[in-house]
Amino acid sequence: MDMNEIKEIFFQECEEQLAELESGLLKLNDGDRDPETVNAVFRAVHSIKGGAGAFGLDDLVSFAHVFETTLDCVRSNRLEPNQDVLKVMLRSADVLADLTNAARDGGNVDEARSRQLIKELEALANGEMPQPAPEPAKAAPIAQVAPAPAANDDGFQPVAFSFEDFEAAEPPTIEPSTYEIVFRPKSELYAKGNDATLLLRDLSRLGEMSIRCDMDRLPALDEMNPEAAYFSWKISLKTDKGEEAIRSVFEFAEWDCELDVTLASGDASDAGQELPMQPVPFDLSLLDEGAPAQAEAIEDDEQIVSQQHDLRDAAVSTAANASNVLKMAQTAARAPVENAKASPASAAQAAGQQAASAATPTIRVDLDRVDRLINLVGELVINQAMLSQSVIENDTNGTSSINMGLEELQQLTREIQDSVMAIRAQPVKPVFQRMSRIVREIADMTGKSVRLVTEGENTEVDKTVIDKLAEPLTHMIRNAVDHGLETPEKRVAAGKNPEGTVRLTAKHRSGRIVIELADDGAGINREKVRQKAIDNDLIAADANLSDEEIDNLIFHAGFSTADKISDISGRGVGMDVVKRSIQALGGRINIQSKPGQGSVFTMSLPLTLAVLDGMVVTVANQTLVVPLTAIVETLQPEASAIHSFGATQRLISIRNSFCPLLDVGRILNFRATQANPVEGVALLVESEGGGQRALMVDAIQGQRQVVIKSLEANYTHVPGIAAATILGDGRVALILDVDAIVAASRGQALKPEMTLAATG
Amino acid sequence: MASRNNARKPLKLAPVLDLNEATALHNKLLELKGAPIAIDASAVERVGALCAQVLMAGAKTWEEDQLSFTFAKVSDAFVKATQLIGVDIAPLMAKEI
Repeated sequence: MDMNEIKEIFFQECEEQLAELESGLLKLNDGDRDPETVNAVFRAVHSIKGGAGAFGLDDLVSFAHVFETTLDCVRSNRLEPNQDVLKVMLRSADVLADLTNAARDGGNVDEARSRQLIKELEALANGEMPQPAPEPAKAAPIAQVAPAPAANDDGFQPVAFSFEDFEAAEPPTIEPSTYEIVFRPKSELYAKGNDATLLLRDLSRLGEMSIRCDMDRLPALDEMNPEAAYFSWKISLKTDKGEEAIRSVFEFAEWDCELDVTLASGDASDAGQELPMQPVPFDLSLLDEGAPAQAEAIEDDEQIVSQQHDLRDAAVSTAANASNVLKMAQTAARAPVENAKASPASAAQAAGQQAASAATPTIRVDLDRVDRLINLVGELVINQAMLSQSVIENDTNGTSSINMGLEELQQLTREIQDSVMAIRAQPVKPVFQRMSRIVREIADMTGKSVRLVTEGENTEVDKTVIDKLAEPLTHMIRNAVDHGLETPEKRVAAGKNPEGTVRLTAKHRSGRIVIELADDGAGINREKVRQKAIDNDLIAADANLSDEEIDNLIFHAGFSTADKISDISGRGVGMDVVKRSIQALGGRINIQSKPGQGSVFTMSLPLTLAVLDGMVVTVANQTLVVPLTAIVETLQPEASAIHSFGATQRLISIRNSFCPLLDVGRILNFRATQANPVEGVALLVESEGGGQRALMVDAIQGQRQVVIKSLEANYTHVPGIAAATILGDGRVALILDVDAIVAASRGQALKPEMTLAATG
Repeated sequence: MASRNNARKPLKLAPVLDLNEATALHNKLLELKGAPIAIDASAVERVGALCAQVLMAGAKTWEEDQLSFTFAKVSDAFVKATQLIGVDIAPLMAKEI
């Protein structure tokens, strides 16, 4: 593994950590006060900092450091994480994400913004912490493992630690400052094979150190447990390495001791006044490991050995702390042995990766490889179907062994396909999390107070869909906050909570993923929309439009109701772009809006863009595929059940209820006249908007899984058709867009894409 | 109860006073309890905090018993280690040496 690969992994992990950070902060924002949540947040920042240090990403390290310091105040209950604090923290998380991206892709960050935030963070950290609490620092040990190899024997020096760009940051590191350290080991520290002596030795190397051993807790000899911790130390250390270096000495012991590091208020002599301290001689070489007691000469490897030692200690303590992560700890302990010489950082990455992925082991695979596999499996499915077909055609009295073999093959390909698709399935969580940032930023810009509520974040959907979802969703969220929600004053005047709510929901419904974006704003101002459409020559001034049609006007290209064009939305490329991206994904979007109560945008997307279970039917000599998920039941209509309704409409009575009967062939213009229902088969389908329709087709050929081939990519969009597929006999069959057909039935015939109705 | 006994019992410390040695050292000291003790730390190469604790608890106990608890001989490493961890052994150093 070369450095770049390791770095790439680091950035991937950063993404995970950032997501963790954000979700933790949001939980805190919602009033969660679980210390574990705070710890998780702290851990995320800490890990990013550790990794960034190993790669010398100074900006990232220094920002993360300040952020971490403030989080530490929250962790030790010195700072109450109220809304205002969390606001700063959430913005800091955003900046941290920006810095991470900038470090990866180059580019600039808004330095003024990060500097401002550093100031705010420090104000938080300082403002409410006159006396640092003696609360033990308690980051989970696994996260601690990650930055380990960055620390060499002398502490943590390779961690780049530059505050040059941040004049308001820590006290200047060039000037040595005196820190007062209270170190109170717990018995666990010794039980895990660590020794306070070693920590103190490392500490003494950072600078000029005076120490006082507090023996007050030491009992009489016969009452003592020789392996328990009684000593504690008060240390005064004059160092130019900064507090971070001090803390990093205790990196692996953090869990097992109480540690309190403070910058001494005055000079060192002040500290000495209250208690007599023993100066520690500078030359401690005799105490080094590898001194006479150890025979082997390990000079060259000393660093690595001691790193391994440290790492192993950390790993052991991890195991002791949480038995369920035992395996990870072992891995972490093993990793450096294998990797330490080549590249200590890779061990960190391995450990970090373990930490990030929690209990289940995972691997990272290039998406391209998965895509290739999926493509090949798709071909395999088609090929298998062709094979079955030709066997059936050519060998009418086919031997049972061939048929059985074919059946097994079919099952196998099916299973392979399912498994491959599962590889690509991902929860929508990352996209949703990104949205909370968008909401925050827009809310800041517009001066509105907005709360984003997300539901169903763990709903899984194909990776391709997720990737393409972010952009339209961003647009919609912007619109919802900018146009949808009112200003706090207006909301109060309307008797609403001044804080607006935007609700983002994902759920599976009838084999598709439905994403709903609801705001509790003013709703669509139909008068305004209508006027605007008339002004823009989109509709005739006297056009008679239903509410739904007016609402759908906003999906027209070049339509924007914002009076003045803002940075946020209103560039006039909003909703039509959204609609087109959703359509490109094989999805649909529609609006429900209630004046004064807000609007709901509902997007329905296919779970995957690759395969589909379908019923193969014949309509006017054409072979069509109807997505199986849409079909509720199939039935053979009887003449007595068919009723005419109006001039052309027909209804079918099914179990004492009436359901519109739609001739697919007529709607798709396959034939000029309606077919006789009695000669065909009715497919009862559930439509997106709710309600059932009976689709009339001529015959059912069978049911099979088909590989979706995009019609748009290979041909062009055809109204009423979602995509195409290749059948077993090599022919192309069209996949029916059931909802489009249902929607079209209302407006008689399918209209081209720019229809006013919400067909998609 | 505290009868003075001038015959100091010697205790030679192991070279490595680490975690494993703490319990052993504790037992050795307990066995020697009730009599003046002269500790030979001349071979000591490494001192862990646990053993330092045991030694200091010993010193404290011996002091309560008004018995002498001294370090007869010390190695450089022993002195440095005690300095490092802020344990002042100077008052316990044998004056006779």
